[in-house]
Amino acid sequence: MLKIENLVTEYGAVRALDGISFTAVEGKITTVIGANGAGKSTLLRTISGLERAKSGQITWADKSLIGKAPESIVRSGIAHVPEGHAVISQLTVAENIEMGSLFRRRNFRSDVKLAIEEVYELFPRLAERSKQLAGTLSGGERQMLAISRALVSRPKLLLLDEPSLGLAPLVVEQIIQTVNDLCRKSGLTVLLVEQNANTALAVADYGVLLSLGKVVANLPAAELKADASLRAAYLGY
Amino acid sequence: MEQFLSAIFAGTASGSIYALVALGLVLVWRGAGVINFAQMGQAMFSTYVASTLIMNGYSYWIAFFVALTVGTVLGTAVDLLVMRPLSGKRGSAMLASPAMRGTVPVIASLGILGILQSAAGMIWAAEERGFPAPVNTLGLSIGGTVMPFTAFDLFVISVVLVTLIITTIFFQKTGMGLAMRASALNPEVARLSGIRTSSVRTLSWAISGAASSLAGLLVTPSANLSPNSLDLILIIGFTATVIGGLDSLPGGVLGGFILGLLISFVNVYDSPSDIFLAILVLLLIVLLVRPQGLLGSKEVRRV
Repeated sequence: MLKIENLVTEYGAVRALDGISFTAVEGKITTVIGANGAGKSTLLRTISGLERAKSGQITWADKSLIGKAPESIVRSGIAHVPEGHAVISQLTVAENIEMGSLFRRRNFRSDVKLAIEEVYELFPRLAERSKQLAGTLSGGERQMLAISRALVSRPKLLLLDEPSLGLAPLVVEQIIQTVNDLCRKSGLTVLLVEQNANTALAVADYGVLLSLGKVVANLPAAELKADASLRAAYLGY
Repeated sequence: MEQFLSAIFAGTASGSIYALVALGLVLVWRGAGVINFAQMGQAMFSTYVASTLIMNGYSYWIAFFVALTVGTVLGTAVDLLVMRPLSGKRGSAMLASPAMRGTVPVIASLGILGILQSAAGMIWAAEERGFPAPVNTLGLSIGGTVMPFTAFDLFVISVVLVTLIITTIFFQKTGMGLAMRASALNPEVARLSGIRTSSVRTLSWAISGAASSLAGLLVTPSANLSPNSLDLILIIGFTATVIGGLDSLPGGVLGGFILGLLISFVNVYDSPSDIFLAILVLLLIVLLVRPQGLLGSKEVRRV
């Protein structure tokens, strides 16, 4: 279980997260929705250690993550796929995937091989393009690659930041479905940040609605989806 | 014809040394975002250590490997004792702006250069001393014919070639090499992938230190050793990286060979006094036509 209590993160004078508390239940998809600037990306970046929390607590599997570096946090089973199809475009597809498993090579050599085979099975298009530079891929393929890079670290918790950003609806559908399958079949816990609330709430179990750095609603996804007044007030439709 | 061939060989031999210097500079630039002006100061220091060992009766090869070790240790020490503490001071007012974050480590490297040169002057006295080569530096003759190259030229070229091949294999085929490339290209994604980027950065400084100490060992037999005898090599090596592309390892190596050949040809066919004019003209042309360098990527210019 990922437990977040009174989390505050600031960029200079700007308070991006203003005392956030919620929990992400194991084996479920929790989606964090909200308008631009609500603090969704900052939340994920603080969990994965890219931003330093000003105060508050983040607990994962009963251990605090506060003050840990990103490279340590990924070792505790949390993989973050940041916004914007974060792959390294000057490296090949295979190298991008291998990169995500480097830290496990010494102790889990055979499992690393297996993990890489699994992501190629999950995204056969990447297998076809394994020798190509990541920069030559389409947006959807890049997102698949970014997710694969995260999956080969064998995470228990996947932090996904706007996987739908700039992608065609059909590709979005495919990626969201893959994440959904991973969660349902292998018990992966997912924290999905989305601006596209409908897509996210369709697969999520729980929805957390953020506005200006605060949690304004924390409900089962179906209830959040059905609440017309919340939607109108915070999502604008 | 003989003159032409000997210009080619001499140019390739000195060019391979400039390539090593450029390799060291590019490694640290890509890995840490610093132009390390102390690099050849570190090399001077390790070459002095080798020279002292040889003067005390140790064999060339023992001195050679001790110097490489000293170079590696110095590179590591520069990062751990100076650069890493500096990058940790991001909160301080002086390091608040990105421009200062880029400038302060470079100034620090000039300070390290000063310290190393003064220390060498104090320890070994400032007068010049010679440094031996492991093989003959005079014209090689095979079966009575004098070859257009020396045994030392061949030695230098082969040592550098082996070094470049090992470096290429390391970067392209090993996990640690991949970690180093990933950290240089995108530190954030690298860290999220579990790569310890600060250790990788230290490794860049260490390898750079080893490469430059090798360059110091190879270049000094052709000159003399003094606390600032390698300053010029740094300037040529730096020019090589700018010509080849500051963020490209093959580019730096290519730039080194181009400069070596250029200097050699100007030396043979024109006059040694025109060498710097020729280098500056080439630099100017490259900067005008291809400002990112021959193999550099455009992106680097935003720095």
